[in-house]
Amino acid sequence: MDKTTKNNRPTVIIGAGPAGLTAGYELSKFSENAVILEADHTVGGISRTVSYRGYRFDIGGHRFFSKVPYINELWQEILPEGFLLRPRLSRIHYQGHFFDYPLKVTNALAGLGLVEALLVCFSYSKAKLLPSAEDDNFEQWIANRFGHRLYRIFFKTYTEKVWGMPCHTISADWAAQRIKNLSLREALYNAIFNNGHTRKGKLITSLIEQFHYPRLGPGMMWENCKTVLARKNSPTVFGERVTGIRHKSGFVECISSQNQAGEKTQYDGSNYVSSMSLKELILGLDPPPPDQVLQAAKSLRYRDYLTVVLVVNRENIFPDNWIYVHTPEVKLGRVQNYKNWSPEMVPDSCKTALGLEYFLWEQDEEWRWPDERLIETGIRECAQIGLIQPEEVEDGTVVRMKKAYPVYDQNYHRSLQIIRQYLARFTNLQTIGRNGLHRYNNQDHSMLTGVYAARNIMGEKHDLWSVNTEKEYHENGILQGETQSGGDRLVPVGGPPESSSLPVSALESTNAAGRQQILEEAFALLDPLALGLAVGLVCGFGLFLAGVLLLLKGGETVGPNLSLLRHFLPGFTVSWPGVFLGFVEAGVGGFVLGNIAARLRNGLMFAYAGIVRRRAEAEENPDILDKI
Amino acid sequence: MPILQESQAIPKNIVRIQAGIWGFVLAAFSGLMLFAMTAWLLIKGGQSVGEHLSLLGNYFPGYSVSWSGSFVGMFYGMLIGGIAGWAIGLIYNKVVDWRIRGK
Ligand SMILES: Cc1cc2nc3c(=O)[nH]c(=O)nc-3n(C[C@H](O)[C@H](O)[C@H](O)COP(=O)(O)OP(=O)(O)OC[C@H]3O[C@@H](n4cnc5c(N)ncnc54)[C@H](O)[C@@H]3O)c2cc1C
Repeated sequence: MDKTTKNNRPTVIIGAGPAGLTAGYELSKFSENAVILEADHTVGGISRTVSYRGYRFDIGGHRFFSKVPYINELWQEILPEGFLLRPRLSRIHYQGHFFDYPLKVTNALAGLGLVEALLVCFSYSKAKLLPSAEDDNFEQWIANRFGHRLYRIFFKTYTEKVWGMPCHTISADWAAQRIKNLSLREALYNAIFNNGHTRKGKLITSLIEQFHYPRLGPGMMWENCKTVLARKNSPTVFGERVTGIRHKSGFVECISSQNQAGEKTQYDGSNYVSSMSLKELILGLDPPPPDQVLQAAKSLRYRDYLTVVLVVNRENIFPDNWIYVHTPEVKLGRVQNYKNWSPEMVPDSCKTALGLEYFLWEQDEEWRWPDERLIETGIRECAQIGLIQPEEVEDGTVVRMKKAYPVYDQNYHRSLQIIRQYLARFTNLQTIGRNGLHRYNNQDHSMLTGVYAARNIMGEKHDLWSVNTEKEYHENGILQGETQSGGDRLVPVGGPPESSSLPVSALESTNAAGRQQILEEAFALLDPLALGLAVGLVCGFGLFLAGVLLLLKGGETVGPNLSLLRHFLPGFTVSWPGVFLGFVEAGVGGFVLGNIAARLRNGLMFAYAGIVRRRAEAEENPDILDKI
Repeated sequence: MPILQESQAIPKNIVRIQAGIWGFVLAAFSGLMLFAMTAWLLIKGGQSVGEHLSLLGNYFPGYSVSWSGSFVGMFYGMLIGGIAGWAIGLIYNKVVDWRIRGK
């Protein structure tokens, strides 16, 4: 990437979602201009806030929480006033009952009833004692930790509603990225050095219990960002869908966009940053890429999302921010209560706006249903699970969001590799964001890819594809303080950025190395053979010596008491042949003892380590449903 | 991603025994044991106190089931325990070294 872009052509950014706007914002810090092309007529992408007759709602309720310090700083910078700190309350609706989420044992067992609770306990114990040897898909991962019954009740239906595919076909990558699979080493480390808690575990717990939320919804953040950018000479152009990317010899020459009237405009930039879907980008390349790349792009799939918003004439319907609807009889996946996110989301405090969330494929017939039919269905299903009375609903609207979720199916990884390899040839094009990288990112990681793209333009070197992956880079830059391995996190390559970062101190890394060594030593295995031999030799020799001493002392009857050992050591007597036999027999006995002791100690240590790991995993993943 | 077999995931170093520490621990253990056993028999009292335990006098000159003997016993217990612990540690480490070199 060019070190300087100081020519009169701006960077062209495709998409005014969190990733695109953040890329523009970061560039503006280096006094670089950008133009942001947005297909829609509003900013924020999936993180927008829609307003309907004064009722505001999100595409699914957007919590602002991040373990990335720089992103937290950016949020405060872009929206210095306007953040609320909200308590989180969410429950699961299943077969007429509400269960606290994250799950609480007593609440869950009480809601299930005696028989089901017993079956759940049985299946849970079975999972703990005899976990499946496989852990490579969502179904197995959950069943191994909670038992099959809890999996069926609390995870299966919701996950399948969201993803539209059976849980056992959900790729391992998904679980790896979204669900933290703690390494045993890490768990033991935390057990010894962090008082039994994972450092992240503590942080995660607090992140789950409360979250930040802009007073007027996430759209407020992105509106502000757009305004700041416009002031800095980086305008956002609405209604411009990028359809063509002209390139030559690994260099993008220009892109063309089309507005709703079908008019085409061409944009020349020095650099191009795209948050449009990879599929659309590849299909828009001119000249087209090789067939293999085209096929790979065509195979990428996206789950679509539709929300039915109901204005209900009741002040308080339920106290939760949202409710997961697991009940299989309804298609409804989740219900948001936007007033509980921020009181300012409703214009009249006597009313409530509920956002009913449906996860669909564009090809599903429901996707094409008229709004009235969808609203009717929403009212019926909401009443069916007992949340409202149909006559309380005053008004309703529908918002459809295509490509809300990049799908991790069995083929996506290979396709992505092909596309990524192909795109690597472009020197002035970077792809960012959720669909630009086909990665199931939240806002923070989407934004971070925007930050890195901007910094790459300024000459730094960051691998955008490794953001929010399991790769073990040691971050000493933007992610300062976030150094342990983990799934839901970013792991870039690169030198230290100029602001808000300090390298990890030498002392800290020395401590870490020392601790690692202690861990290695504390959990090293006892060699059963060696301990057996050592104890055997000492026992054998001890008895031999005891016999020899008595023999040398002599007397009328030599060693009548020591000879009693013959009850345990057949043939043993205090005589010269007897002491040699005793040496062998006591040696064998000692060997068995030492061997068993070593095995027992190793076994107990494994058991302890296993418990520690599972406990730590549970601590780090109390919110699995939030990650689905 | 196959499930982590606990045995695969655990740090795989083979522990080395600190012979001195093992010697010390076993010395303390056996010394105190012999002291406590002798003391217990004395406290219990009876006609012929510690008939069998006093046979240790065959090996430990000066040991008897008496209050002074209990301290002598503690000394011998520590001595024997210390040597045994130290020897176990030493032999164990040697065997581990051989086995590792053999691999
Ligand atoms: C139901 C749901 C709940 C979520 N909850 C949270 C949450 O609680 N917290 C959180 O942090 N994140 C949440 N997310 C994730 C968050 O919405 C995304 O990570 C974020 O919006 C991604 O930003 P982006 O800029 O990469 O992509 P997008 O938001 O998709 O923005 C891309 C933009 O590019 C535009 N575009 C696309 N194609 C073209 C084109 N050809 N030409 C021009 N413009 C184009 C689009 O119109 C869009 O505005 C949630 C997502 C969903 C679906």
